[in-house]
Amino acid sequence: MCDALKDYYRVVFALLIINKAGGLIYNRTFAPGLQKLDSNDYLILAGTFHGIHAISRSINPAPLAQHLPGYRKPLTTGIESLESSHFRLTCFQTPTGVKFLLFTSPEQPNKDVVVRRCYEIYGDYVMKNPFYSMEMPIRVEKFDRALGGYLVRP
Amino acid sequence: MSVYSFYIFDRHTECIYTKRWAIAQSLRRTVPANALSNGDVPAVARRGLNAEDDAKLIFGTIFSLRRMVRQLGGEGDHFLSYRTGEYKLHYFETPTQLKFIMLTDTRVGNMRTVLHQIWATLYVEYVVKSPLAPTEHPKGVGVANELFEGGLESFIVSLAMRSKEALLKRE
Repeated sequence: MCDALKDYYRVVFALLIINKAGGLIYNRTFAPGLQKLDSNDYLILAGTFHGIHAISRSINPAPLAQHLPGYRKPLTTGIESLESSHFRLTCFQTPTGVKFLLFTSPEQPNKDVVVRRCYEIYGDYVMKNPFYSMEMPIRVEKFDRALGGYLVRP
Repeated sequence: MSVYSFYIFDRHTECIYTKRWAIAQSLRRTVPANALSNGDVPAVARRGLNAEDDAKLIFGTIFSLRRMVRQLGGEGDHFLSYRTGEYKLHYFETPTQLKFIMLTDTRVGNMRTVLHQIWATLYVEYVVKSPLAPTEHPKGVGVANELFEGGLESFIVSLAMRSKEALLKRE
C-alpha cells in the first residue's frame, strides 16, 4: 500500500476530556468515522465511562506489586486502552484525575505520544489561562486552534 | 503469560461458569530491613471481593462497554478487549449471545482465536453435545462437567507452556 493510502488509514477521530467528577468538559471530532452523536449522548457516554473506569480498577485480578514506600504511581489503574473492530480508545488519566479519551483508527501508531501531546496543549492553553475556571467546560479559543493544528489533517 | 480467570455468561445474563487461577504472590522488589511499618508481605494476594461479586461487576462492565462501542462505532462494531495497567480483559460473543470472558496479564496479544477455540472444541463438544446437560443452564447447571473442566485446564496449561517455549526459543 503506498504511503498516502497508509496515512489515510491512520486517523484520530475524536478527543473527549472528562473532569474529576466524571463530567464532560471538552468534546471535539476531528475526522469522520464514528457515529454522529449529539452533545447529550456524549455527556452520558463520559459519565458511563467514568464509572466503568472506576469499576475496572476494583476487578483487578492480578496480585498487587510490592513497592518501596515513596513510590508515586497508583497501585491499580483503570482502563488504559480499549479495542473494538472499528476504533481504538486510549484513556490517559492525569495525576489530578482528569481523563483524556482519544478515539483513533486501529492502525494509528503512537497513540500514547498523541494523547500526551494533547495533555501538554491542555496544560499550556487551558491550565495557564487565568480566566479558565477549574472543572468547567473548556471554552478557550487558543486551545481549539492548537489542537486543530496538531490533530486535523489539512 | 498468566491467565487469571475465565467466565461464561449466557444469554439470560447469568454467570454459568467461573474459573479462577490462584497466582502465587511473588516479591517484585526486596524491602530493606529498616523500611517503614508496611514492610511485611501479605501471604495471599488481596481478594476483597468474592467470586459472585466479581462476576456481577464484570458482566456490568462488559454490558456497558458493549453498548458504548455500538453507540460509537455503529451497529456492526464489536467490543473486543480492554487493557488496564495490571490486566487485560478479552471478550468473545457467540451468535447465540453466549459470552466468554478471560482476564490475563497485560503482555498477552489477541486472545480471540483462543476464546473461539474454547467455545468450539470444548464448550460445544462437552457441554452442548452432552446428552445429560439441559438446554438452558440456570445457575450453571450442567456446564461444569468433568470433561469440560479437564479440557479447559489442560488447554490453558498448554497455552502457558507454548508461550514459555516461545520465550525460551527467542532467548
